[in-house]
Amino acid sequence: MSTVSYPGPHVQEHAATGRATSRKPFSWMQLPALVYMIVLTQVPFLLALWFSIHSWNILQPELGFQFVGLTNYVTTFVGDPNFWPVLWHTVELVVGSIVIALIGGTIFALLLNRPMRGRNVLRALVTIPFLVTPSVMALIWKNLILSPSFGLVDWLLHLIGLPAVPWFSSFPMASITLIVAWEWTPFVMLVVLAGLQALPDEVIEAAKVDGASLITTFLRIILPLLRRSYEIAIVFGTILIFQTFGEIYLTTAGGPGLETNTLPYYTYRMAFNSWQIGQAAALGVIGVVLAILAARGMLRLIGGQRIDERSVEA
Amino acid sequence: MIKARRQWGPTFWNVLTYILVILFIFPVIWTVLTGFKTEAAAYAPNPTLFFQPTLTEFATAFNSSFGAYLFNSLVASLVSTAIAMVLGVPAAYSMVFQMRAKASNNMLFFVLSTRFIPFAAIIVPLYLILARLQLLDNLLGLILVYTAMNLPLIIWMAHSYFMDLPVEVMESSQIDGCTTLQALLRIVVPMAAPGLVAAALLAVIFAWNDFFFAISLTYTNAPTLPLMVSAFMTNENLFLAKISALATLIIIVPVVLGIYAQKHLVRGLTAGAYR
Repeated sequence: MSTVSYPGPHVQEHAATGRATSRKPFSWMQLPALVYMIVLTQVPFLLALWFSIHSWNILQPELGFQFVGLTNYVTTFVGDPNFWPVLWHTVELVVGSIVIALIGGTIFALLLNRPMRGRNVLRALVTIPFLVTPSVMALIWKNLILSPSFGLVDWLLHLIGLPAVPWFSSFPMASITLIVAWEWTPFVMLVVLAGLQALPDEVIEAAKVDGASLITTFLRIILPLLRRSYEIAIVFGTILIFQTFGEIYLTTAGGPGLETNTLPYYTYRMAFNSWQIGQAAALGVIGVVLAILAARGMLRLIGGQRIDERSVEA
Repeated sequence: MIKARRQWGPTFWNVLTYILVILFIFPVIWTVLTGFKTEAAAYAPNPTLFFQPTLTEFATAFNSSFGAYLFNSLVASLVSTAIAMVLGVPAAYSMVFQMRAKASNNMLFFVLSTRFIPFAAIIVPLYLILARLQLLDNLLGLILVYTAMNLPLIIWMAHSYFMDLPVEVMESSQIDGCTTLQALLRIVVPMAAPGLVAAALLAVIFAWNDFFFAISLTYTNAPTLPLMVSAFMTNENLFLAKISALATLIIIVPVVLGIYAQKHLVRGLTAGAYR
């Protein structure tokens, strides 16, 4: 992956001490971890591939476990009217929340990079939304903050004379996006702040002397220098936000209709509500392929040609 | 004029920062405050910041088999983190100090990719495997899955901290005639201890905060704290103060651990790509 700087300086240094020849392609010390990861992630994935070319509904055992080739995939892409809307909702959630998190995280990083009293405490406070248990906070958002009858936001709306808004039924995806963006803003803040702290002070000072406005300084000087920080924030943020589950399950349960079904959520429902294991497995495999493609695409887009072929392999 | 601007400019930005930070974490502040209210106060038409605090709803939470959920959460997150450390730290050691750079890199990419697989894609096979092993709705099953979830994090963080150690460390250990295990346990681990502790704390947080595996793989025997909140709500008519008290008890753990490990968060979350 282009954004990850391996091998680090020390591997080269170690090699330079002349013991490079004694280095091995494999070591028994990594064997337990390797076996563990293969058994618990690769074997289930291979099983998912196997299930995905079979028809298997646990609720109808009399139909058995039949080989159906690529039928499940064809059904997903062509026969299932839900698939493409679900895919679109996934894009809405992931892109929406990462964009908001990028903006919010950048604002907090810039504000908290200034010398000020209590800066460390404020930085610690801003990381809190990332640390708090997402599923628990999703219920809090739903019942204490965005509830049309007892929520803080609607109380504020009431104060200024506006009617209450049933956020999760009127704007379901926007509400979930807001919660997810809130959780991921600190992550962006931390990564961008780390980047800002690595910038030499002279760069920003020079810009100030030149009389550049705040926005110009940011767009022309800081942003290009922080490219690597943003690459990391976008790639890691996107792939992990793609996994969002509890926030959907506990606020809208995917509804109304399909509106807040994302691909992982839809996959889960296909498995544990409809018990169509073959169909769910196909959806899961498609999810893995999309995650790989998205990671590669993003790296290529933001990382230029520095892409490594092994970037993200499932 | 210029002097005035110099004084007022920073003050403006400072005040703005304070306000934005408070607003940003207000949902959390509000949760904690509401936890100290009575249900009647929590449902008051005009929410208030000033009220007579009470521990009633914390007591309710404690009396609603909080202990059983807490036990499951603690055991699942601590044991899975311990296993992930035992498996992951030697693996990272071998990657940094024993393996060729190319092999080591391949391993690192493999490790990274296992963490990037959407969990929903492997949940059905995992469910069926655990069912076959009689480990469904079983704490051990959850521990096994959390170990797999956190192993990549432990490996890439340990790897990243080991890379920071000076070369002389290994040379001196060779002169002293240490075995590999001695070099790892007596020299490398103590030197990288702060980073390894942070890695373990992050792993505990991720397991503690998990909802997806907990809801998919447990029912009545091994549910963890995140599952308690929704169960708690459906049983009660007035529940705002109750879920707030319970939420406060649950989120305090990752918040304290996370703030303690704050310096290491970025490295942990970005596979050591950022220091």
